[in-house]
Parts: sequence; C-alpha cells; structure tokens
Amino acid sequence: MDWVKYFKEPIVKDPIAIVGSPGLRSIGEIVVDYLIEELKPKLIAELYSPHFPILYQTKPSYIPHPDLPGQAGILLKEGQIELPRIKIYLLNNPELLITKGYHANFYGQYEVANQVLDFFQEMGVKKMIVVAGYGKEGKEVCCAATDLELIKELKQYDIDIGYEGPFYGFSGLVFGLGILRNIKSICLFGKTQPNLEDLEYPDPKAAKAVLEKLRIILNLSIDLSKLDYKF
Amino acid sequence: MLIEYKKAYLLVQKYPKIMQSKIYKEPELKEPYMVTGLPGIGYVAKLSMDYLIKELKAELFEELYSPSFPPYVLIKKDGTVELLKNEFYYWKDTRSRNDLIIFTGNTQAISPEGQYEVTYEALNRAEKFKVKKLIATAAYVTGKYVEKPKVYGVVSDPELLDDLKKYDIIPMDAGSISGTNGLLFGLAKLRGIQSLCLLSETPGYMTPSGRVLTDVKAAQALLEVLSKMLDIKIDTKPLEKEAKMAEEFVQKLEELERRWIEEMRKSVTPPPKDIYL
Repeated sequence: MDWVKYFKEPIVKDPIAIVGSPGLRSIGEIVVDYLIEELKPKLIAELYSPHFPILYQTKPSYIPHPDLPGQAGILLKEGQIELPRIKIYLLNNPELLITKGYHANFYGQYEVANQVLDFFQEMGVKKMIVVAGYGKEGKEVCCAATDLELIKELKQYDIDIGYEGPFYGFSGLVFGLGILRNIKSICLFGKTQPNLEDLEYPDPKAAKAVLEKLRIILNLSIDLSKLDYKF
Repeated sequence: MLIEYKKAYLLVQKYPKIMQSKIYKEPELKEPYMVTGLPGIGYVAKLSMDYLIKELKAELFEELYSPSFPPYVLIKKDGTVELLKNEFYYWKDTRSRNDLIIFTGNTQAISPEGQYEVTYEALNRAEKFKVKKLIATAAYVTGKYVEKPKVYGVVSDPELLDDLKKYDIIPMDAGSISGTNGLLFGLAKLRGIQSLCLLSETPGYMTPSGRVLTDVKAAQALLEVLSKMLDIKIDTKPLEKEAKMAEEFVQKLEELERRWIEEMRKSVTPPPKDIYL
C-alpha cells in the first residue's frame, strides 16, 4: 500500500509523544483536540492511508472486522477537502508531538500504528503518553504502562492501575507496538460510563480528568475551564 | 491545499505487510518434533499447549506479531501492556530422544491471508530446525454434549496410520479443520514435513450471548494421547478438577446469561455479539 507523509523538517531533541484517537466515549480525541486548541502546536506531519474509511461499517469504529472494510472517500468541511488522516503536531516548549489518531479498517490497523511509530522513531521519541477511556468502576483516572517501573513513578501523581482487559484501536496498538521499539509509554484512562447505543459519544468530563493529570505530569500551563461548558 | 503539499517534503514508500518477530534465544535442537495449537473452538488446542509448556517447563525462544491479529492489546492485571502474539517454545529431551518445539499464542490471525502468513512463518521455523514430525492439535465439534471426548486423527501420509492405531486414535476421513490449526497440518504436508493432526471432541459450546467456552475435558483427552505419543509424562490430574469446576461454572454462566438476555429483551435491544469470538 502506498503511503504519503509530509513534514517540514522539524528540529526536535527529545520529544514526548502524546497519542489519542476517538475510541471509547471519544475521551482520547477530546484530550488531544483540547491540547491542540489551547497550546497551538504546529502541524508537522499528516499520514494518509487507503485503509482509512470515511464511513465505518462497524460500530464502534475502533473494533473493525475483516469483512467490513468501510467506505473510502473524502470529507468536505466548510467547502474544504478533507481526507481522513492522522495529524501530528509539534509543540516546542515542552517538546511534545501531539498525535491525533484515526482508526483504520481491519487491514490497516497494525500498518498504520507501525507507520506512526516509524515517524516517532525518526523524531527520536523515547517516551509516549497515550490517552483513552475505560468503562469500569474505579478511580477517575487509572493507568497502564510498558513496564512496572513507570507504574511506580506514576504513584507520585496519585495515579494507579485499575483497568484489565483489551485496548482496541489505533491508540492501543501504538501503545503496545511501542514495546518492540523500546519506547517507554504510559497510558492514562479516564473513567466513563459506556453509552451502549453510541460507544463513541463524547464524555468531556472524563476527558477533563485526564487533562488534569496530564497537566501535572507535563507541567503545562493550560486552562481547563473551557471544557466545562461542554458538560 | 494541494499547493501547500508541493512545498512539503514528500515521501512515498511501500510499506510491506510483514510480520514482526522477537527472538529471545537460538536453541540447538536435536531431531525435534513440533506440536502446534492456537486458540480456537473451546480453546482445546491452546489449553493443551499451555499445559504442556507448564508441565515440561518449556522455554520461550521466539515471538511472532502479525498485522492480521485482532487489532487490540491486552492490559494485564499488573497494569503492563501485552501485544497479541504467537510463540515458539522449546524443550530439550534429556533422555536423548527427540526435542520438542511448541507453537502456540494468545490469539490467532483472523483473516485467511493472515492465517496463511502465520502458518508460512511457523513452517519456516519447522524447516530451519529440521522438524521430524509436526503434530497439530484442533477441536472436533460435535454440536452436542460430550460425556467422554474421543480423539480423532488425520495423517499426511499412510505411514503414519500405524501411529493412529497404536494410540487408539479414530481416523477421521471426512470433514474440515478450519483456521491456522488446520493450515499448519495441511501446509506441512506440502512442504514434505510428516504431519498429523489430533482433534479432540468438544461440543463447540457457546453461551446464549455467543461466548465460546473453554473445554478443559477435551484438552485433557488430547493431552493424554499426546503424552503417550511423545512418550512424556504429563500429570493431567489437576486438569480433572479444573474440568469439573469448569462444567459447574458453565452451567451457572448459562443460567445467568439467559436471565440477562431476557432482561435485555424486555428493556433495550441487545448489544452486538463480540465479533471475534
């Protein structure tokens, strides 16, 4: 499959990748969108794939099926052409690669995750923070990581483990496949109530809880009150 | 927007759909046999392999990751993340007979192409280690309750028919073996590797919501044959207890799910079935 990516040769030293995609109650997407909106990072790369549907035949979109590849096409937004894509933004201080994922259909999931990781490696990424949601009883925000050491470190921010089970879609695979590239990663899950009729129905409140932790971990000066009106 | 692209640095590359692998060790093996079993119906094959690995204390030497595995990762109880993978284990026979390679994993490729790819990779390893004989394991679906599971067998060449007789395995002459477990057996024949497939009877039971149940009893029957065939001692006693517990659990689960589904019918439409099970 042909892949196109472009970037304006950014200069980075030791960036941390932040990864989020629609997923459960769209928590990951809201977190990343909010960071982009508030911190105004520069768009440095876009990744396109023939495996990105504009219409998914599976519900939710992040649980694909080999027989249901979805429909390809383009989107129009305010008269502008928009292709489904993954967008990677760069913030210089602190150095963050903010990545807004997109769920590929079954045949592209691993490929797309690996492509993004290739790009991360080119940029010298050694640390990654994945943001997502979880639908179980527990704390507001819980975590998972690539090694136990990191989980220990997170205790100082009052974040503990609390989810056990599968982690579907783009963010899950980037998180897991990062192990094979020695990227040390943590994942923050915001607690939410799964909406059975639409699993991707946005939950900004859960996203805010994740953002609050992220703000402390990364020492960001960011105002989260703008999320409140969305509740 | 297109003009902006021109200014940008363009990179087009072919991204081959390859499998990734991680090698932990390169063992030297003596005329090894290869036993395979991936999760399938009733987890019969997978369960047998897991037990075999535990009992023999077999060692992991390579992991395979395929883009055709289900697209998720597992968050484990301790909070660490694990990829879906297929694994190769080895065991050295100290009595100086045939060593053993065990091929299993926590998933199997979903798409037919993926299943062929994984089989191709697994058989490459078999060739590399000059595997003498490949024993694939699978489930034989009866569709009804099984009191005492029988073990069926298929062989790649007539020479091996004696093996079946020797261990009281019922030759199976019609039917199909789907998935990677079947392909491992079938494609080994194409590569000239002596192979046989053992199938243990299982009801292929699902709960009303479509959950596949683990069939410990079928695995136990399979392991008994396997241990005789490989001339190794495996204590299947612990499995007996587990089988009994599993059976009770199944009954409870069935009852619970039935009640749950009735409730759901009353209120809202039921959620979709988990498509991977």
